[in-house]
Amino acid sequence: MIELKHDHLVFSFPDIHPDAKISIGFQRTLRIPDDGKTYPLPPGLGVFPLKHIDDYTVPPAWARHGGVMLPMYQSEAMWINFNTTYIPDRGTAYPFAVKVATGKIDALTGTPWKNKLTRDPQDYMISTRQPWLDGYCVEKDLIRQFVAMPLGSGYSAEEQITGRAEHGGLQIIVYPMRKEVFERRFPKIERTAVMEPFIGAPAAGEAVLCEAESFDMGLAPGGKMHQEIYEDPFNFNDWDRDTHSRCFIHIANSLVWRAITGDVPPTVPFTAKEYTNSGLPWFEYYDDQAKSIDGSNILAKLKSVIQKGMDKGENPLPENQGVTPDNIRVIKPGNRVREGDF
Amino acid sequence: MNDIFGTYIREKRTRLQQANKRYSLRQTAARIGIEPSYLSKIERGEQSYLSEEKISALALDLDEDPDVLLALNGKISRDIQEIIRKRPQLFARLIRELKNMPDQAVLKLVREVRDGDW
Repeated sequence: MIELKHDHLVFSFPDIHPDAKISIGFQRTLRIPDDGKTYPLPPGLGVFPLKHIDDYTVPPAWARHGGVMLPMYQSEAMWINFNTTYIPDRGTAYPFAVKVATGKIDALTGTPWKNKLTRDPQDYMISTRQPWLDGYCVEKDLIRQFVAMPLGSGYSAEEQITGRAEHGGLQIIVYPMRKEVFERRFPKIERTAVMEPFIGAPAAGEAVLCEAESFDMGLAPGGKMHQEIYEDPFNFNDWDRDTHSRCFIHIANSLVWRAITGDVPPTVPFTAKEYTNSGLPWFEYYDDQAKSIDGSNILAKLKSVIQKGMDKGENPLPENQGVTPDNIRVIKPGNRVREGDF
Repeated sequence: MNDIFGTYIREKRTRLQQANKRYSLRQTAARIGIEPSYLSKIERGEQSYLSEEKISALALDLDEDPDVLLALNGKISRDIQEIIRKRPQLFARLIRELKNMPDQAVLKLVREVRDGDW
């Protein structure tokens, strides 16, 4: 089952295990410059608000898809965090395989959406290994940031790959580890623990971005950053591939959000320049114990928002000045926090 | 004085501390923005006052449900208060009627995010 709690999607599988729960949040963040340089991880500036589609009058396609919606400004960026609950007497959180797509294009492989897991090429992440996903896996250890652009303008990964502006939004599907495998791999222990929970607290920020004209938003590839997508360390049969929960996350532009919900969307985040000039931290995450997967040849061919804009004779990112982050915090698996009051 | 709240916090924090030193009294207090001595007093039941914001921050830090910690501290979150204020009779009646219902039955009322056709 999926519940909406404190602006997070909480996937739980009580029939599998009482602690089989994962909370997924969508973090507001800086849009990193799309200037060919590779940046470290930007901070989390608080979660996007989430609303049930069924509570509002929405376009018929959205009602048919079900799920939830969130607001984004045009050219605003996001990252996704996977927050699992540490089980002290198991020394781990319950493991899940998580697939993420935008416009029904897989964010790791660039292939069309399937309601199943694929091991080779790996099209999913492991919740206990992967704390975050910031964008499309275009090369090994290199991603292009998720940036919201109006669906139909040609920038989104979906439109670049399929030639159609059909789905937009984000899609997520979660598979739990098989119960008997969890019991075997992580038997009850007395006191020792090997992994820590991922904990964070949201904050807010300000900057100037443009408001979108199209009501439906898609995600497009923005600037490059260093992020490793980790290999599945388990056997493929460890995943309960007959059990899953999935959700469609619609992205409304800020004006449409206000019209649909009556709520004011969050303020626009800082620009990368404002943030960096204030001396605030960027992040690098390393897990020495884990191997990363290769990037997708399909996604590697995508044009970034700026490259696409040049083709179209447009300037889609008015605030795109390069920066040199010099306050970089290195994060290890034991302390996976990149949000706070900045 | 609130021994239940303090004991609950202390037990959870010390359990986490055994796996990770960041859950020491000092570091935990620093992350939620209070003095270590005050957190110590809360854990010993000598003080009970913490604002809703601090309790929520503590819940996030200790991987606990904020509503559970607020309830242990004798509080109800502002958003729930607002929900009740909008339809007080309806929600008072609902809560009284659910009072003795088993957890499994109450869970059937939990709202799920609907998956549609896509």
